[in-house]
Amino acid sequence: MTQTAMTRSELGNGLIAEDWDRLTFRVNREAYRSEAIFAAERERIWMTSWLYLGHETEVPNPNDFKVRVLGGKPLILVRDQNGQVRVFLNSCPHRGTVLCRESEGNNKNFQCFYHAWTYRTDGEMSSLPDDEAYQDSPDFRDTVKLRTVPRMDIHEGFVFVSFAEEGPTLLEHLGAAADVITMTTEANPHGMQVLPGVQRYGVKGNWKLAVENAMDGYHFAPTHNTFVGYLRETGFHVTDDDQYAYDLGQGHSMLILTGHNGRLGMIWEPRFGEDEKERTRIQRAEMAERLGEERANEVGDASRILFVFPNLLLFDLEALTIRQLEPMAAGQTDVRAWQYVPTVETDDAREIRLRTMASFVGPGGLATPDDIEAYEAVQRGIVATAGDTRGFNDWSDMSRGMGSEVRGEQGRSIDEGAMRSFWRAWSRAVGPVDGVPESELAR
Amino acid sequence: MQTQVSGIGRTVTRAEVEDFLFHEADLLDRWRLDDWFALLAEGAEYHVPTTDWTGWGVLDGGFFSSDDYEILKARLKRLKSRKAHAENPHSRTHRMISNVIVGERAGDLLEIQANFIVHRFRDETTQSYVGRYQHLLEVTETGLLIRRRRSVLEHELLVPGARLSFIL
Repeated sequence: MTQTAMTRSELGNGLIAEDWDRLTFRVNREAYRSEAIFAAERERIWMTSWLYLGHETEVPNPNDFKVRVLGGKPLILVRDQNGQVRVFLNSCPHRGTVLCRESEGNNKNFQCFYHAWTYRTDGEMSSLPDDEAYQDSPDFRDTVKLRTVPRMDIHEGFVFVSFAEEGPTLLEHLGAAADVITMTTEANPHGMQVLPGVQRYGVKGNWKLAVENAMDGYHFAPTHNTFVGYLRETGFHVTDDDQYAYDLGQGHSMLILTGHNGRLGMIWEPRFGEDEKERTRIQRAEMAERLGEERANEVGDASRILFVFPNLLLFDLEALTIRQLEPMAAGQTDVRAWQYVPTVETDDAREIRLRTMASFVGPGGLATPDDIEAYEAVQRGIVATAGDTRGFNDWSDMSRGMGSEVRGEQGRSIDEGAMRSFWRAWSRAVGPVDGVPESELAR
Repeated sequence: MQTQVSGIGRTVTRAEVEDFLFHEADLLDRWRLDDWFALLAEGAEYHVPTTDWTGWGVLDGGFFSSDDYEILKARLKRLKSRKAHAENPHSRTHRMISNVIVGERAGDLLEIQANFIVHRFRDETTQSYVGRYQHLLEVTETGLLIRRRRSVLEHELLVPGARLSFIL
């Protein structure tokens, strides 16, 4: 993949100051602090874009369900009695009561406890107590069904919803990100599944700090000093060299991390053990046979971190983790993370996979806690310059690598190009926000 | 409730298990990590399941932490470094342990259970971690060692700020 043309995209608001003469790119820190901006994001991003809800393998059997909140709205992800994946608002059509108060399970019906209105898993009403009271309006019962989200679509098992009736299709929205998701499904002939065991945690930081952090190879060496030290001790030659950032358009971006390239089943390294070496050889041969040499190499040869605007991060590193961001307030984000694994693999391979990923990503790992420390320290630190109108005091800097951007070179993962493309897309999506003054420093 | 069990070795009382857990908690609260590590048997594991855990093993689902002995050693080395930013400065922790139950014993391996509350203070905020220890201990001639240390959170999710950067 190459990205030759520099895109000097239009910006949508005055919260970004991009100066192509001085080669500076700055973000006004109100973008992380302001509740007005948070409300605008809810309305203009979360209520219009496609959002990642969950994976269809989380509800493998008919009548399996998971309850989840997205864009502040309580939802039910369910596989209906006929095997079709559906998404409903978790709110009884009668009076709006939260219908399903379990977080997950399997049931043939959702019964609202309040007045016992009952629905099948396909959303049709199955029982209306004392329905003779409604006999004067004969079609009443037929009109009552669980409310759906306006649009739902599935790409490679990844279930997305949109709260907007109109807009691009899911594949139009995903664009180049669609194939990166497809690649994660191709390494193994038997497909992939999401395991139970969701890492759920709250972070005292704006959601965009979590996006920046994932798209920021520059922080890796200093922030994860101790984790890099551990990797090196295991014989893993982790490096920042020859790694690039890609703007996939529409706010999606990706880092390709060839310097972080122990990949279970695909690229062996000593800490995976000798048995894994042979498994890797067999898997790569199988991939080449099934996918062709070129595609097999594309799928297997590089670690990737994909951000799908606005709420999905896919970490395709030693193994795969799916992470979902749910902004709760300007300074608070809920995170869910799942292990995404080959449906068929040996116990040894599965154990190495899960231990390796838990040791790295997640709030109990050896690396993610330092990322969380970083977002939280930013959120606490940027209070210092609130209201400070002197120069760029209240702006955060993301200029690194603008020179190479001007020259049309592929941005390095240790530059800040992936963050800039995210912020440009963000500013176009959000636009001007009432009550947030536009600085004359902007643009 | 069983207060003591007998196996092939010596008898272990609940009081001995309590003393062991209290001592362990004290070492962790004081960040005496090398002394704490000396309470672990060779090959010991450290698990913190996710909050939706229903009992799966390390092959069958996600965990917050599922350290084998090597990863656990790396975790301690990290925590002793000034570059473990999430714990530099260290959190202040304050552990309360109660409801200790001495469970099944097979040979020199003894299951125990206890309730815990760990208060954590950092950045002028407080979090409480409420849960249950489900440890597998090894009975030795002179004391007890930890074979598997499992800290099961009662929470539905980690509240904002409540990461697991220290030993829970």
